[in-house]
Amino acid sequence: MNGNKKTLLEVKNLETSFSTWEGMVHAVNGVSFKLSEGETLGIVGESGCGKSVTVLSLLRLIQSPPGKIVNGTAFFNGKDLMKMTEKELNEVRGSQISLIFQDPMTFFNPVLTIGEQVMEPLKLHLGVSEADAQARAIEILNMVGISNPEERLKDYPYQFSGGMRQRAMIAMALICSPQILIADEPTTALDVTVQAQIVDLVKKLRDELGMSIIWITHDLGIVAGLVDRVAVMYAGYIVETADVMELYKNPRHPYTIGLLGSLPRLDETERRKLASIDGIPPVLFRSASTCPFAPRCPYRIDRCFNENPMLRNVGDGHEIACWVDVVNHKEQV
Amino acid sequence: MTTYIIRRILLVPLLLFGVTILIFGMLQFLQPAERAALYIRDIPKNPEALESVIRNYGLDQPLYVQYWNWLVGRKNLTTGEISGGILRGDFGYSRVGSEPVIDMIKNRFPATLELALWAFLPIIGVGVWLGVESATHHNKFIDQFARVFSIIGYSFPVFVFGLLALMLFYGKLQWFPPGRFSNWVLAEINTGTFTQYTKIMTLDALLNWRLDIFWDAIRHLILPVITLSYVSWASFLRVTRSSMLESLHQDYMVTAKAKGLPERDAVRRHALPNALIPVVTLAGFTVVMLLGGVVITETIFNFPGIGSAAAEAAAQLDVVTVLGFALFNGFILIFANLVSDILYAVVDPRVRLSSL
Ligand SMILES: Nc1ncnc2c1ncn2[C@@H]1O[C@H](COP(=O)(O)OP(=O)(O)OP(=O)(O)O)[C@@H](O)[C@H]1O
Ligand SMILES: [Mg+2]
Repeated sequence: MNGNKKTLLEVKNLETSFSTWEGMVHAVNGVSFKLSEGETLGIVGESGCGKSVTVLSLLRLIQSPPGKIVNGTAFFNGKDLMKMTEKELNEVRGSQISLIFQDPMTFFNPVLTIGEQVMEPLKLHLGVSEADAQARAIEILNMVGISNPEERLKDYPYQFSGGMRQRAMIAMALICSPQILIADEPTTALDVTVQAQIVDLVKKLRDELGMSIIWITHDLGIVAGLVDRVAVMYAGYIVETADVMELYKNPRHPYTIGLLGSLPRLDETERRKLASIDGIPPVLFRSASTCPFAPRCPYRIDRCFNENPMLRNVGDGHEIACWVDVVNHKEQV
Repeated sequence: MTTYIIRRILLVPLLLFGVTILIFGMLQFLQPAERAALYIRDIPKNPEALESVIRNYGLDQPLYVQYWNWLVGRKNLTTGEISGGILRGDFGYSRVGSEPVIDMIKNRFPATLELALWAFLPIIGVGVWLGVESATHHNKFIDQFARVFSIIGYSFPVFVFGLLALMLFYGKLQWFPPGRFSNWVLAEINTGTFTQYTKIMTLDALLNWRLDIFWDAIRHLILPVITLSYVSWASFLRVTRSSMLESLHQDYMVTAKAKGLPERDAVRRHALPNALIPVVTLAGFTVVMLLGGVVITETIFNFPGIGSAAAEAAAQLDVVTVLGFALFNGFILIFANLVSDILYAVVDPRVRLSSL
């Protein structure tokens, strides 16, 4: 669906690492992607693969120390977010690029009212008066489906249910009408029924407001109808990217195949194990010259331990980082 | 909020009852003859006279009767005069002060109150400021400085600090004398050229518009205030620093920065209000400590507050006086507790609106 649309954000070779007691954690290892106007990009991958660090790095919100953006550019409207001054960046944050987070409880400040927090970006970026900010907040809270917003503005986060909090978080992110909304697993902490409501809400808001979205998840199923394109991450690398339907029908990277639960040659137990490994994958400490997935890969060949495959095009915007053509089960060059 | 406050206020009588029971319990360790000081001035030496005092004031009666008498006072069976009764404001007679305990408290408390008023702001202000600075400059110079400062504050005894300060600033430099005012001020009080409206020297000096007396009072306050601050800074610094560090790492700080707030504003608007919640409790304790009379500091600087009065009474085994002060302290504690509970609700909406 993209191609003819203008590129809004272009990330190249983004690399972020953390220095810890156990050594350098290479959380993001040269991630590149593009986001066009109106496009929704899904980033999937299991816990700890670097999804959050990737998007936080974009707005340079990584806590430093221990974190450090080692390399990379991220051009947004022609300017490199990585090179902007703190002041310029603050004008982008919350106004042109907004973030929503996984746990709307901890990401809201418990001692400030929902209203104060939702209005804050508006006052900060547009300097509007209290009355105007309030009117706009009521409008946007209405839009995200919070009933009786005049009253609820005065409530504190813990007086909201989980789903309502996430709606309020979305309202807070959208109040300045950003060009890009970054959603970091916004439904993970919610009940299944509420998850679907939130996804529907964002879909509706996107159609009304026309922003681009980066949606992080580890559950591809729930966002299938929302995202246009998917980037699959593993151990800080993007290992496969394709349009969503193509990826579903025709996954090419062994990890994606495992993630989608459709790996033909793996038995049940192994499949479940693959999808549920969490914590820090030890591969984050490893050297960059092997394929990060090789130790768990059923298709691995010797080459995988000597050379890390780069992303390569396998046709029609479908890219994978793998030495093996899994479909035909043979090595590729 | 209103229900919360009403609940807290309803708790007060219960707490008061607890405090009186506690003090009354301690009084029971005394001989009836000593307890007679609760009702009369001079305890007779003659055993027969003593016997009649004990009977007259019911000191041989069951405990609940005695407790009641202690609360509301007791009619002398022969003269019909009522004496004692803490609810009547009669805490007994102080041997040490040669005056009723309550008068002793009234005379001494303004000094303690004045010291507390002057010490409170520097303690909180500097302590919290240092805590915030060292948390926001974690492991930088100011943080290391604050760490050393608080270790010294915790380990260097206050009486050593106070005595050294006295030696230097009074003994050597003659800048800041001990006591509460100079002799010439006392002379003015005695001749009536200076009116004591409130017995709070600095305030009275302003009310009389006597800046020389104001300055004299300040000179006498400086050393005790610094000594008191010195003990409390370490704890305020530590509590503020650790709760601030915790707040700075909370998720809502990421949200604040993601909104485009500059670091400073994110700290001030989002981290600080959360970090101050535990500080409110500490402030409550500090008020109690300050108003209860700071025994060591008042004694070192010869500052005539209730702390030094209680110390004198204790040194002379004047138990009725000591327990009178303890009772007064208990009342202050309950009051300060109420205030800090209410403040707690002001800073933390979760407390305010929970059904507790
Ligand atoms: N402050 C930090 N210090 C050290 N390591 C960190 C820090 N933050 C993240 N990491 C490491 O970076 C890696 C990527 O973390 P990230 O939070 O991006 O994972 P994620 O893909 O978002 O996972 P999840 O699905 O659990 O949110 C993890 O292995 C983590 O250990
Ligand atoms: Mg994450």
